[in-house]
Amino acid sequence: MRGYGVYLLTRLGQFVLVVFIGINISFIVTHSTPIDPVEATIAASTMFGAVNPEAIAIMRQSLKELYGLEGGLFEQYLTFWRRVVVLDFGPSLSAFPAPVSALIARALPWTVGLLVVSTVLTWILGNLLGGLAGYYHQSRTLRFAGVVAMAFHPIPYYIVAFMLLIVFGYLWPILPISGGAQINLQRGFNLPFLSSLLIHSILPITSLVLVGLGGWFMGMRSLVSNVVTEDYVTYAELGGVDRRRILASYVMRNSLVPQVTGLAMSLGAIFNGAIITEQVFGYPGIGHLLIQAVHAGDYSLVLGITTISIIAVSAAVFLIDLLYPLLDPRVRVR
Amino acid sequence: MSAAASTAPVLQVEALRAYYKISSFGLDREVRAVDDVTFHVNANEIYGLAGESSCGKTTLIRTIAAAIKPPLRVVGGSVVFNFAGRPVDMQKADDETVAAVRWKHLSYIMQGSMSVLNPVRRVERAFVDFAFRHIGKRKPEFLDIVRAHLQRLDLNPDILAAYPHQLSGGMRQRVAIALATVCRPEFIIADEPTTALDVIVQNSVLAMIRDVQKEIGSSLIFVTHDLAVHANLCHRLGIMYAGRLVEEGPTAEIFKAPKHPYTTHLVASLPRIGNTAPKKGLEGTPPSLAAPPPGCRFHPRCPLAMDICRTQNPPMVEVLPGRRVACFAVTPPGRAA
Amino acid sequence: MRVVLDLFRYNREFAIGVVLLGFVVIFASLSFFSPYPPNDSFVVPPDVPPSWAYPLGTTSRGQDVFWLLTFAIRNTLLFGFAVALLSRILSLVIGLVAGYAGGIVDRILMSLNDTFIVIPLFPILVLFYFVMRDKMSWGLLALAMSCLGWAYDARLIRSIAMSLRTREFTETSIFSGMSMRQILTQEHLPYVMPIVFSTLMNNMNWSIGLEVTLSVLGFTDINTPTIGVLIYWANQHTALVAGVWWWILFPVLLVVIAFVGLFLLAVSMNEHIDPRSRLNRVTG
Repeated sequence: MRGYGVYLLTRLGQFVLVVFIGINISFIVTHSTPIDPVEATIAASTMFGAVNPEAIAIMRQSLKELYGLEGGLFEQYLTFWRRVVVLDFGPSLSAFPAPVSALIARALPWTVGLLVVSTVLTWILGNLLGGLAGYYHQSRTLRFAGVVAMAFHPIPYYIVAFMLLIVFGYLWPILPISGGAQINLQRGFNLPFLSSLLIHSILPITSLVLVGLGGWFMGMRSLVSNVVTEDYVTYAELGGVDRRRILASYVMRNSLVPQVTGLAMSLGAIFNGAIITEQVFGYPGIGHLLIQAVHAGDYSLVLGITTISIIAVSAAVFLIDLLYPLLDPRVRVR
Repeated sequence: MSAAASTAPVLQVEALRAYYKISSFGLDREVRAVDDVTFHVNANEIYGLAGESSCGKTTLIRTIAAAIKPPLRVVGGSVVFNFAGRPVDMQKADDETVAAVRWKHLSYIMQGSMSVLNPVRRVERAFVDFAFRHIGKRKPEFLDIVRAHLQRLDLNPDILAAYPHQLSGGMRQRVAIALATVCRPEFIIADEPTTALDVIVQNSVLAMIRDVQKEIGSSLIFVTHDLAVHANLCHRLGIMYAGRLVEEGPTAEIFKAPKHPYTTHLVASLPRIGNTAPKKGLEGTPPSLAAPPPGCRFHPRCPLAMDICRTQNPPMVEVLPGRRVACFAVTPPGRAA
Repeated sequence: MRVVLDLFRYNREFAIGVVLLGFVVIFASLSFFSPYPPNDSFVVPPDVPPSWAYPLGTTSRGQDVFWLLTFAIRNTLLFGFAVALLSRILSLVIGLVAGYAGGIVDRILMSLNDTFIVIPLFPILVLFYFVMRDKMSWGLLALAMSCLGWAYDARLIRSIAMSLRTREFTETSIFSGMSMRQILTQEHLPYVMPIVFSTLMNNMNWSIGLEVTLSVLGFTDINTPTIGVLIYWANQHTALVAGVWWWILFPVLLVVIAFVGLFLLAVSMNEHIDPRSRLNRVTG
């Protein structure tokens, strides 16, 4: 059990480090601009419509703090952190006076839902197919599946989502191409809403799965073709252990261990993909909000989303790290 | 068991050939890892296989165990086991028959046994996976049998709950031996089971193998390049060189009076107490099995090489009862025919 | 050189990759013969579908898609190459040093490394654009992306450097009095070069993908034609709704060809480098 404790502590340390460095990068980025951000932002935002003077005053204050322009550099840094720690990014410019945190809180469940479903789906499907393809490497069907999965793999999320949009939006319009659910429905746990939710999620999820599948497929296939040459697999074959048991508990089980690490490692990239997919399909999550915020010149919202993204992704990675020992006993006890 | 059955060999290998066929980047290669090997193993006997590394020992026993995968292919010959009067031809038998034989009648102790246990599962699972279907008891009773077996081998039954990485190398090897013997099989193949262990652990593992063999009365093929181990353990010994069997006989006789020049060299190179003369190395290296020399494969390194050795392959000839040698220097061609 | 020839003859993925990428590169080099400067608009009649005069049609802004595309793909490839090259330097230095030094240095560098792997880069790049606005340029974006995109490959290089560290020739070099810098540049660098080369392709794919995405959203310098910028303008003019499909289709097609080509090259090179997967090819 001591081994598990040490493991947990190092992973926790890594989590804190990621958040720390991520927030620092945000700070550096916001301070690398040659233009006066506060006035530029206010000028930009007032262009979009009438904002009352009181709002501008509040905004200017929170912007100055967020940009960290009050006091010396170190003081600015501390102020910046104080805002981040309490997750208070002030009011949104584009949706004044709604606070940024409320906007994010409203969008976050959509993104989390989309991400969790598509990532789990992709990971399971990719590993299953890849594992089978590695084990039965003569099978034509699996080879063909591999070619399809690999064909989509190098293409970026945006292009795949865009292609799906063209196919199902213009050429063969059978699926909704925008939004998270029909707007006039009662939100909650009722059938019409849930089915609308499901139908609206098909295209975003499909595009995420299509892009993600190839990576897991190829990774798992090559892992499996290495694991089948391991002594314990040969030995189990010599022992006449049931083929399905060998495939599941020996080959797949051992190959999955690095794939879980891989999942933790690629969450950041998957998150990038989700943001883009949301934008393409007008899905009301964080990504959509982020791009709206940029177009509306809403600095506090952009910074808020960046920060929350960093924290959320590293928290998810930490969560996977916590589950990892369940799969690999070598971490659990030593 | 009738007298006839007990004297019939448990394993009969006839003219076995197993080649690796490789084609890579437009090049075809054929590696003759096992070429025309014939021998048998009797009931309750420990048969040793000796030879340098990559002389085809491991390929030979993999073929015997019918555990071959492409690019390795059996080109000719047969491997027939005789389990309690029921012959099983490993090359011809269907998958189900072979699977039914595995572990119940034929088990295996592997080279590099350090890594034969699945690293992510407890030791207990290995026993269940390998042996449960053969013992035919309910789970608790089965585990009782396993625990009793472990205790008989002086192993703490608590190791069943451990993961492989928590055990030392010697311990893992002992667990592998316990695993290989839990079904009390008639035949065990041991492929360099002690090579990776340090000398003290090696001795206790060897003692364990010998004890368990004596107890359950199985036959054993024991493969190692270490002649000293053979001398201590095996009843009979087969010497392999470059994919061929070159000499065979009772262990004591081979050590006392080796016939084949290669065996002579091997025996002479063993350290002996009181002998301070420098050891002479053998010139040259073992031939590539992809392009073996014509004739006797040993002739380029052989001090006794004659003209005929360069063109013709010496047949395996019984020179004394139970003693076979493949060398023209021992059995001149005229007499051999 | 013989290796390349062998790969071309016996490895189908490599051959296809070379052909695809060669096509894209030749296409890009045609930009030097373009009759129109890239940023001029209304030099040809707008919205003409593909024809003999305009093989890929013209845009709503009166640009010839064919010649515009040559500029766009050239800039896109150059961008990817610049990012990949710069970030290779970072991953090489960090990977080699971490692998060679080991211990606490390795631990620190690798947790830094993992941090950069995990951090979601896209929001940060958007933030970067947001504060830069009109100051945002091609070069600046390339610089920012190479500072963020080195981590994954540094880990790869480190694992190779670690195994090199235990080799005998490293010991010999240490005893012969070579400094760490000398050992790394003279002894270890040649060993990791193949892998650096294959990661270069992967990294180009990654950076081009991000660049396309950012520019399609308008988050880059939209006056330098790249594939993403082309699609951005097409979207601005709602090309699909207006039926000007050639404005979208050809850039997408071309960039997909580039992606697949780069990807196939990276995969086949990896296979060549890793003997284990090569063995699979032999036996399977």
